[in-house]
Amino acid sequence: MSLIGKSPVRPDAFDKVTGGKDFPVNIKVPRMLHGKLLRSPYPHARILSIDTSAAEKLPGVKAVLVPSEVPTRKFTPVYFVPANAGSMVQDMLIMSDTVRFAGQPVAAVAATSLRIAEQAIELIEVEYEELPTVFDPEEAMQPGAPQLHEHAANNVAVNPVMGFGDLDKGFAEADHIFEGVYNSHRVHTCYMEPRVCIVDCDRQGNFTVYSSTQHLFGVREKLAYALEIPESKVRVIKAPYIGGGFGGKLDIGYIEPVAALLSKKTGRPVRIELTRYEDFISTTRNPIKVYLKTGVKKDGTFTARHARSILDTGAHATHGAEVINVHGVFGLLMTYRCPNSKWEGYTVYTNNMIGGGYRGYGSPQACFAAESQIDEICEQLKLDPIEFRRKNAWHQGEPHPMVQGLNLDSYAFDECLQSGAERFGWSKRQKPNSGKGVKKRGMGFACQPLWVSGCIGFPDIYEHSGAIIKLNRDGTADIATATMDIGSGQITTLCQIAAAELGLPMESVHMVQNADTTTVPVDAPTHASRTTYSSGNAVQAAARIVRERLLKVAGIMLDINPDQLSVVDGKVLIKGAPKRTLSVAEVVTRAESPFVQHGPNGPAPTTLEEKGTIIGVASLAPKANPSPVSVEFVEVEVDTETGEVQVLRVVYAHDLGKLIHRNGAEGQVEGGFQQGMGYALMENLQFDPVSGACLTGDFLDYKMPTAMEMPRDIQSIFIESNEPSGPFGAKSLSEPCITVPAPAIANAIYNAVGVRIRELPITPEKILAALGKL
Amino acid sequence: MKTIQLLINGATHEVSIEADETLLQVLRNRLDLIGTKKGCDSGGCGCCSIQVDGKVVYSCMMYAVGAAGKAITTIEGLGNGGTNLDPLQQAFIEAGAVQCGYCTCGIIMNASELLATTKNPDEDQIRHAIAGNLCRCTGYTKIVDAIKLAATRIAG
Repeated sequence: MSLIGKSPVRPDAFDKVTGGKDFPVNIKVPRMLHGKLLRSPYPHARILSIDTSAAEKLPGVKAVLVPSEVPTRKFTPVYFVPANAGSMVQDMLIMSDTVRFAGQPVAAVAATSLRIAEQAIELIEVEYEELPTVFDPEEAMQPGAPQLHEHAANNVAVNPVMGFGDLDKGFAEADHIFEGVYNSHRVHTCYMEPRVCIVDCDRQGNFTVYSSTQHLFGVREKLAYALEIPESKVRVIKAPYIGGGFGGKLDIGYIEPVAALLSKKTGRPVRIELTRYEDFISTTRNPIKVYLKTGVKKDGTFTARHARSILDTGAHATHGAEVINVHGVFGLLMTYRCPNSKWEGYTVYTNNMIGGGYRGYGSPQACFAAESQIDEICEQLKLDPIEFRRKNAWHQGEPHPMVQGLNLDSYAFDECLQSGAERFGWSKRQKPNSGKGVKKRGMGFACQPLWVSGCIGFPDIYEHSGAIIKLNRDGTADIATATMDIGSGQITTLCQIAAAELGLPMESVHMVQNADTTTVPVDAPTHASRTTYSSGNAVQAAARIVRERLLKVAGIMLDINPDQLSVVDGKVLIKGAPKRTLSVAEVVTRAESPFVQHGPNGPAPTTLEEKGTIIGVASLAPKANPSPVSVEFVEVEVDTETGEVQVLRVVYAHDLGKLIHRNGAEGQVEGGFQQGMGYALMENLQFDPVSGACLTGDFLDYKMPTAMEMPRDIQSIFIESNEPSGPFGAKSLSEPCITVPAPAIANAIYNAVGVRIRELPITPEKILAALGKL
Repeated sequence: MKTIQLLINGATHEVSIEADETLLQVLRNRLDLIGTKKGCDSGGCGCCSIQVDGKVVYSCMMYAVGAAGKAITTIEGLGNGGTNLDPLQQAFIEAGAVQCGYCTCGIIMNASELLATTKNPDEDQIRHAIAGNLCRCTGYTKIVDAIKLAATRIAG
């Protein structure tokens, strides 16, 4: 246990500071071709004809692919659901002769070099018939708007409606009713490593795949489905590292199936890597407009809440069909107690780019609305915003609001509020707009009172995790798992959990580099803040099996009951006999020895009972959905002449059950704030309103916080409520770190200058306009 | 195709290239020096930062022909090989400044120029020096910590 909560060196750090060789972008295979997609310049069009003859004649071009050659079964690209999931919308083809967003692939080329492939796509002649466009989701819902898909009347892809209690009664009981519209925008996850894949189809139709993905088994399932072949025909090899994901690599891109078909045509492996511009138009956080109406008693108790959320899902439903549910349920319906609630979600097709699964998955949009409005309520009714939230929040031990049969066994919301407020100095907060001078400071905070360590409660989402742990004769252990490390430290955390459970030093546990879908148990993605909890549980379960077997063999060797044995720091210890020990290496060597083992005391026979590699396998799905909670306090300085906002300091308090790796956990908070602050203040994926072309397709135009803009003082408080179902008591961390910054900053800006901005990002122009200076 | 000589990490490489190839393309695709990463290919992210004659450049923004005759240093040139690390590399490991690691080499190359020219830089100088390098994982806090740690050790 002593390893848990410490910060052992990341096993991958040495390689990453000396060159980082194990990213998918570095993979080359013999005879590899380079693929390139031709993309439509039009946001809505019908393809009338494609002439590929000139491209095919270019020396070095090995194949050209056009829409008429792709399978006709529609699919959802989202990894973590079954391909035919009823909650999702199967509306995509690998390539289609109907274009629904600017940048949709309409043809592809494989050539002996990238340069030739780039030249070749320029030679493809496509004749388009342009169709009328719609970019605003509320306009798209109006009668007469251009229809994007036959199956979706008024362009509504899905329309979940949920609620409980009696809304009319609840609003009638309210002393005050508040209404507001909160709007969010389109941002990109900005993983640093581009999306890339290599697909190699052999002559018997077996596909070997390397992909920059967050979900090994998702690639297998979705690629097999899209190609209409059995899953066993697709083998996906895990890349040891992924250069960031944040939800942006949670779905099959166009690239994997296109590379697969090009490989099938050419008989050679095909590599496709996206340019940064292509990355920017491949995945995004969906913009959601939230109409939020809330009834409260004089004392601040919620009596009724009604929310309507309009999600712009772009050309295809993809994640938008699930983001809307997580947004509504976790973000709005269930965050606080309210007896009469109703929520309506609309996932709406437009001619914008498709959405993705960005970290937080609908919650940042909801949290901005809900936590901003709570601040407005408290301001108007002169209520204490901390007490208001405490009054309406859940409490430890109560039934879990979403999952029947579960309780909130660990739920330290009060402690987060209290310790965060104390550390931050919340009691020193001034009245709004009470500063003097040009630059005014303000304090604000926001909460994520209910989140998940996975997605139990949602019917179609995979939750499995698996691990194989094997001991080696030198006393080390190897872990093989399909859990991807996308930078958030899965290699480290899982090795740490295994080391702690096995009684081995951290440096004796290694993550297997290239597990693949044929060798390891099925796994859900690295998403939904789930891996420490779910994969951690699988690793711990496998380690327990290994330890049991290790102690059994050691017991035979020592002629002692295994109950009397333990493993500490790589040594098997006997209770009450501290001097008589065996090393783990000796025990494993014995288990893998021949019939006669030559040791220091000469040859000795071994028994069949001892024999066999010491190995443990676990494949399981968690039973619980433990809810982490978080609170973030920020202080900002607003320049009332320029409208610029600087975040000065941050205190973030989070109940994560049990801290596994302190440094890694702090890194999640600090990195989460970078993304959350970017979302709040500057990042904005913008498109030309007529052509639909992306205007912010590189990092010169898409602004994210650098080291200069980031606050220098970010403090993390980790509350350990000890979740009974988690590995060593752990639950999750990642997503709330990115959810709370935007409303906390918005509330702090209000406190500084007395203006309420309900539309993200909160740019200098919006602040100056609200101050009447623009 | 044109043949040029590049002096990289103290060794001369003769390489045949197209005239319009960037230094980044030549390092990665022709010389397998894959520690230098491509993040955007448009001078916006800093993942491809290397040093030319001791000064940091984005290798995606420099033609390889322009680097002929100059001393190029990449991440592979830091430390003494094997397990011997540059103080910055060691500090990045110890401070936990590495998450996904994709931006890491570029940031180390940039910090390396800073520490070669500035003894004991303060936090402003460190943040300014790495302002051209984007990181999406860390929030930069532990990167700044790592550079401070290395600076302290170098200063003795």
